[in-house]
Amino acid sequence: MHGIFAQLPQQLINGLTLGSVYALLALGYSIVYGILRMLNFAHGDIFMVGSLIGWAVLQLFINGGAVLASPSLVLLLMVCGAVVVTSLLGGAIERFAYRPVQEGSRLTTLISALGASIVLQNIAMLMTQGRAKAYQTELIIPHDWAISAFGATVSATRLIIFCVSIGLMLAMDYAINHTMLGKAMRATSQDREAAEYMGIRTQQVIMAAFIIGSGLAGIAGVMIGLYYTQVDFMIGFSAGMKAFTAAVLGGIGNVRGAMAGGLVLGLAESLGVLFLAPVYKDVIVFSVLIAVLILRPQGILGKPVEEKV
Amino acid sequence: MFLFGGQSAGSARLYAVSGKNPPPIGSLGCEIRVKKRGGREEMIKRLNRRFEKMQTLVKILSAAVLILCVATGFVYGKELPPVKIGAAGPFTGDLSKIGLDALNAIQMAVDEANAEGGIGGRKIEVVVGDDMGDPSKGVLVAEKFAMDRNVLGVVGPMNSATAAAALPAYDRAGLVIISQSATNPDLSERGYRVMHRICPRDDAQGPAAARFIVEEVKAKVIYVIDDKSTYGQGLADQVAAALERMGVKLERGQISSEDRDFSPILTRVKAAQPDLVYLGLSNPAQAAGLLKQAVGLGLSTKFMGGDCMKEKDQLVAGAGGAAEGMYITAIGKDIAEVPAAREFIEKFEGKYGAMSVFSGQSYEATKILIEALRAAAGDDPASLNRAKVLDAVHNIRDYNGILGFPISFNEKGDVLGASIYVYQVENDDFVEIKEYPAEV
Repeated sequence: MHGIFAQLPQQLINGLTLGSVYALLALGYSIVYGILRMLNFAHGDIFMVGSLIGWAVLQLFINGGAVLASPSLVLLLMVCGAVVVTSLLGGAIERFAYRPVQEGSRLTTLISALGASIVLQNIAMLMTQGRAKAYQTELIIPHDWAISAFGATVSATRLIIFCVSIGLMLAMDYAINHTMLGKAMRATSQDREAAEYMGIRTQQVIMAAFIIGSGLAGIAGVMIGLYYTQVDFMIGFSAGMKAFTAAVLGGIGNVRGAMAGGLVLGLAESLGVLFLAPVYKDVIVFSVLIAVLILRPQGILGKPVEEKV
Repeated sequence: MFLFGGQSAGSARLYAVSGKNPPPIGSLGCEIRVKKRGGREEMIKRLNRRFEKMQTLVKILSAAVLILCVATGFVYGKELPPVKIGAAGPFTGDLSKIGLDALNAIQMAVDEANAEGGIGGRKIEVVVGDDMGDPSKGVLVAEKFAMDRNVLGVVGPMNSATAAAALPAYDRAGLVIISQSATNPDLSERGYRVMHRICPRDDAQGPAAARFIVEEVKAKVIYVIDDKSTYGQGLADQVAAALERMGVKLERGQISSEDRDFSPILTRVKAAQPDLVYLGLSNPAQAAGLLKQAVGLGLSTKFMGGDCMKEKDQLVAGAGGAAEGMYITAIGKDIAEVPAAREFIEKFEGKYGAMSVFSGQSYEATKILIEALRAAAGDDPASLNRAKVLDAVHNIRDYNGILGFPISFNEKGDVLGASIYVYQVENDDFVEIKEYPAEV
């Protein structure tokens, strides 16, 4: 055990970086749950597709020899490519996997979500031959772009991930609370039937929720590619689980709760490693979840569910 | 969602699609309407009649099968079935790059042998058994090979963990295996006669690595990381034990083979300020990710890894410069420096592109198996069986192939006369810097 205090600043940075990506993903879970009361289990896999698309765009530019010309533009294009593909994918999944079973029981939509997840995972496995794909991060953001202070190293990659994620979350928070679409979303989530009577096209609102959530997942995918430097077809599973945990932790259906949950989870994961061996990091994460659920079943920012009579 | 994608889901679906309930167990598919027909005796009579009918059916069927067998015997009577060689390894999944390049080398050796007339006129065929590096699948592969009576020898399994799990199945079938890369010492200590390997063991590799760390790198503080796998943890244990014997201070940490985020462990490593970090990992791509993240965390130390790291594509290119200066122990000489291997390398690279770390070893293992098959067949290729092939492999003496040293096996099936080599990554290439004889 080497000075917990020596590791503390760095683990804090690690936790914030990872936590902000979890939060971005958890946002997608929460928006969809808030409106449809369903768990979109394919969300983690949409995130995985986003990271692979980011990688594919990067390869395109590396092979074209254009990556050195303007790394920041390439990064932007990676994100754009991922967002376009994942939002289309999210929309398609809503249209073909969820809408047909919307009227069914909650279990039906859940099984349909699991099915969508397995399909995405297997397509990705076939297309990548099951191999890990390396992001050549050093070509976009040089490794030595970093700030060192108090024994912690904050690389430019981490700063970008953190700033982009926080920026997107703030934008989402604003959009939900201050725009027409946000208002429509809130209305649909409160009472879908009543919202429809008020002239809100709820089916379109649902579609929008899926598209926005999936787009965020796509961005998170590219961010995690930059952070892990390697992605494969399985990353969606564990990241999806963590993001789901974060959403539940913060109070599922609550947008600010998802953000808080993500950050708490990321910090718990890295600060827990100060005291326990790193192999136990998932144990720490899920212990935190259990503890929160026992003490505050509705999550950190969630409202208790009132029994309707 | 692996949890939900298993085979059980598939079989449950079958019933759902056909829309029928599965037949009740024990009724042999015939419905027994006890109540309608009344009486217990009536039912027994009816059942007996059904059984008689079924017995006749079985008789007719077995007669038909017999006739079919005899008929095919007449048609194919002259030509012997091909001799099959099993290839067991991770041909899909994380380690598929290493696995597929091994498979290519195996196929090449077999093609060459077939061009020379096979085994006394019998063709040789490669049967592929993909274990994905997963022990449970390794057992399935072994059982698949065991059931095919024409499979007379196996090249692989490549991973220590799959070999450890599959060995009992191979042993029951009396099916000889020659592994090109399973280095865990325990494999040949369990008393299975079928076990053979042409790579030195980790209790030779570990101490050699430790000697190098102490004598050449002169590192004082060492951090050992492993991935909990049979190979990774086994090798890390050997290195750590040897270092402790030499009185060197060390710390250990673990990750899991599914991990992609190494910041937690690397932050710990950074706080320990080691002179060298030893990586007992089975996946070079994972190691590349770790090296890259280490740079991102501002961790500047030396790294060292085991034999499976010698992968230019995955480790050196994958790490994008972060692997520069890393030390790697190898369980075989770089065959580019063995004159006898020149022809193989040219042919392989002309056909499949750059070689992988175990391509040469896979080719050699296959060649040895073919040599043993020929010795066992003698003048009578029809008499080949697994017991004969097992003896022949065991009795291989001083086989001179492409690995640069004559190969013989000891009683346990371990290779004799091998060496451990230390390489360093320099200008994106591996440069040999030290050789230690592999004494156990």
